[in-house]
Order: sequence, then structure tokens, then C-alpha cells
Amino acid sequence: MLLRTEKICKYFGGLKAVDEVDFVLKKGQLKSIIGPNGAGKTTLFNLIAGAYLPTKGKVFLKDKDISRFTLNRVSRLGVVKTYQINHIFPTLSVFENIRIAAQVRKTSFNFWRHAASYKEVNELAEQIMTQVDLQEKRNWPASTLSHGERRYLEIGIALATRPEILLLDEPTAGMSCAETNQCADMIKKLNTELGLSIVLVEHDMSVVMSISEEILVMNEGRTLVEGTPREVSDNEEVQRVYLG
Amino acid sequence: MVNDNTNTTKLQELHAPPKPVVVYGTIFVLLFLPLVLSTPLATEILIWAIFGMGFNLLLGYTGVLSFGHAAYFGLGAYSSGLAFRYLDASLPVGIAAGVLAPMLLACFIGALAIRKRGVYFAMISLAFAQMLYFLALSPLKHITRGEDGLTHIPAMAIFSFSLGKPLPLYYFVLVVTGVMLFVTWRILQSPFGKLLQAFRENEERAKACGYNTTMVKFWSLVISAFYAGLAGSLNTVYLGYVPLTTLFWLTSGTMVMMTILGGKGTFLGPLVGVGVFLFLQNTISLITPRWELFVGAIFVAIILLFPGGIMGTLEEKMMAYRMKRASK
Repeated sequence: MLLRTEKICKYFGGLKAVDEVDFVLKKGQLKSIIGPNGAGKTTLFNLIAGAYLPTKGKVFLKDKDISRFTLNRVSRLGVVKTYQINHIFPTLSVFENIRIAAQVRKTSFNFWRHAASYKEVNELAEQIMTQVDLQEKRNWPASTLSHGERRYLEIGIALATRPEILLLDEPTAGMSCAETNQCADMIKKLNTELGLSIVLVEHDMSVVMSISEEILVMNEGRTLVEGTPREVSDNEEVQRVYLG
Repeated sequence: MVNDNTNTTKLQELHAPPKPVVVYGTIFVLLFLPLVLSTPLATEILIWAIFGMGFNLLLGYTGVLSFGHAAYFGLGAYSSGLAFRYLDASLPVGIAAGVLAPMLLACFIGALAIRKRGVYFAMISLAFAQMLYFLALSPLKHITRGEDGLTHIPAMAIFSFSLGKPLPLYYFVLVVTGVMLFVTWRILQSPFGKLLQAFRENEERAKACGYNTTMVKFWSLVISAFYAGLAGSLNTVYLGYVPLTTLFWLTSGTMVMMTILGGKGTFLGPLVGVGVFLFLQNTISLITPRWELFVGAIFVAIILLFPGGIMGTLEEKMMAYRMKRASK
């Protein structure tokens, strides 16, 4: 077991955004979280990534309690999230966006050595550029990218920190149909070829059903059903909540 | 595809840190500044440019506004002045005192307030600066001489080379400025310098990448205080006395204005901003005692023409031109 939450809760005032959810991710697994709007998917994500402190409950990474760890500490442990709304470094070049993330494990507070002289960092950044297919835009400011390209950059930045678990928050949001399929292929590739464990929050059901091994369905902050895509789509409760 | 590659190479210049030729070229041009401007004015420009480089590192590159940088500048000026006057300190010792004290102050203010964001941090720094100002004004009057400023500071010498005359002093300050330009250039292209800019662009994401962003801000502040202290200390050597106004909030305000005028977040912005500001101030105050009125009007005009500051807008225009050429 790689990652596990134990009866995790997050309350915003009276609102129980996430309520006693047990989430388990095995090594190398691609697991999706789905649910209607406001079901608590992103909140659960943020709890795992360390962006929120849980109100109650715990998060374990390989049996290490990381519930009270901050976002940057969790990230260093290899659990890295992407954002539903693009969080990139807009005026920096595409390459620099990725390079800055790639240098995190190598150096961060060296203020004298030339950043370009870190060979490993540069190689890693170049490699990620290829993976997310942005080489042609290498030296363009990230703000000039199209929406689809920004979504790729978003994933590229997360990949560059060399995570063990990648938390993808609606990676295909706003993408065209063709782009969505391409993106789904890429995610599957990251999972199978690089062996990354991936947690995916996604609205596009076709993506979720085609690439995930397991699905957790949330509703009103609680776990509704957990199972394989098949089990989930056959479940009557899910059909009621989802399809109305 | 071949075409793409050439375009990419052209564009590569966009985000590259300033070329060595810019750094050395600037120092070379500054060698001749006393031929164009009066030597004291040229010296003052360099001193404030050092202050500006540090301030720009914090405001322009890290995106943190401190509205109390006079605290570091003034504390540097007073620390050196006190060391020179009461302890007969040599030039290097006095400057070291003028640099260390503001850095310690920055550590203190940083530890207390660095988690505050935006305008809150600006106001807390302002409050600290004003506290120092009033401390120097009356409770510590017996050593700081209060409103009169700290006088009777002996002329300095380095390697038995007197800095009492304007021209040797200018070249001494120029050496320090050159070193600081070089240091700034190194910092900007280091992993830390890149991290500052990433922080400015998106703090949340920098954190999600695994960076301790609080420390980024903290060190940026301390380094900035180093520059401010050094400038304050040189100002003491230059004036031969420490005016109380070095600690006044107007000094902080002037610095903000100079940096924005020159273009925050650009390598040469502070130097240009300081140069334009002090030149206008000096020239127009010779003609009329109401110089602020005219200088103010000119600033408004400059900012309308160059919304990103002089260097900032020039860089933007250059970038737009290159991007246009690259996408053809």
C-alpha cells in the first residue's frame, strides 16, 4: 500500500466537504475519483497533497503519517498535485517553467552557480519537454501557450519534480475531444511506461472508464462506491447520483 | 522543422539573463560618468543604484513590496557613521558594520513578518522603519545627534589613498557598484535567482513543486538588506555625515518610485531609474525651489509613455518584436 487515508475529514464551517473517507492507492495503480460537482473530490486531493490540513483523520504515505505536512514537504516526499485551473509561471519560458521544477531535488538556494551548469537538471527538463510534447514552444513565454498546451505544461511541471504519486486534477478540463483523447493516452503512458502511481480527478467519463484500474465515487463528501470501472458503471446508486 | 529550429534559437535570447557584455559595458560606460555629470551627482547615482539593485531583487524579482527599506539604508548609514565617529573604525570595518546590522534587522523583521503578504508586509516594514526613525530622532539623541544628523565623521581612506576628494571617491564607489552589478547578475542566473522569479510568478505552484517559499522570501529580504546597508554605508562615506532623513519613510518612497520608474524586474532598471530621478531632481532644483512639481509631472509623463518603467517597457517592446519575427 503506497498511500492511504484513514477516515479523513475536512469541514469548512458547517460544510462537510470531505467526511470520513478511506482512500487507498496501491503502487503503480491508476485510480480515479469521480462524483458530481461539490462531491469533495478536489478537497480530498488537497488533503492528500498537503494543501489543506485535515479537520480529522490521517494520511499515510508508506505508513508514514503525513497528515500535518505542508504542501512543499509532501511534494518533496514525491506526492505532487496538478491544478484544475492552470498554475504555471506565466512570464517565464516554457523550458524555464519545467526546469525550475526539475531543480528542486538538486539545488534551490545556491545563489552563485549558473543554473544552466546543472547538467542533470537540464537533461531532466529536456526529457520532460519531450514527454509533454512542448519542445517546439521551448523558449516561448508560458503565457503565450494555448489552453491545451498549458494543460500539458501543468502536467510537465509536476512531472519534473520526479514524483512517485501524481495527483491530476481534471487534466483534460477545457480540452477539445481530440486533445482529450491524446491527453488520456499520455496519462496511461505515464502510468504504464514510467510506473507512476496516479490519482485522477476527472469529469470526462469516457476518459475515466477507459484508463483507470479502479474508481472511487464520491457524493456529498462521502464515499459512495469503490470498484473497477465495470462495477462502478453497473452500480445502481452511481447511476442514480450521476445520471439523475 | 528547420525553420522552427532557427526560430527557437532567435527566441532563446528572450529569457536569457543579461549577457556579460551588458554587465561589463555598463561598468565601462560608468567610468566616464563624471565627464558628463558633476562628480558628486554621479557618485550619488551609483550609491542609490546599489540600493536600487537590492530593492529590485525584492520588489522586481521576488514580487515583495517593502515600504520600509529606509530602515536598512538608514541603519547601514548610522552603523557605519557611529563606527567611524566613535570607534575610529577603518573603512572596511565601518562598511562591514553598515552591512551586517541591516542584515540582522532583516532577519528579525523577516522572522516576524515574512509570512504576511502584499500590503500587510509593506505596512509592517513601514512601521519598523518609522520606529527606527523616531528612535534615532529622540531616545538615542545622545549618540545619533537627533535631528541634526550624525556629524563630524572623518574623511576616509583606503590603503592610505584618501577618499576625501570627489573623483577618487567616485571611482571607489564605482568599484563597489561594479562588484554589486556582477553579484546581481550572478544571483539572477543562479538556481536561487530563478526561484525568486518563479515565486513572483506563482507562489502556490512554487510550493507545490516542493520549495519552501517562506525561506525564498526571507533570503530575498536579507540579501536586499545587504545591498541597502552597503549603499547606506557608502552614503555616509560620501556625505561625511548621516542625515536623519536616511531613516525617514520618504527615503523608502523615493526608492519605490525610482525602481518603478526604471522598470522593476529588469537588470538595468534601478540604475536607469535612479539616474533619471536624481538627474531631474538636481537639474530642476537649480532652476526652481518647487522642483517636486515639475519632476512629478515628468514622472507622470514617463509612466504614461513607459507603463512598465523605462527599461521594462523597452524590454517588452523588444520581446514583442522578436516574438513576431519568430512566429513568421
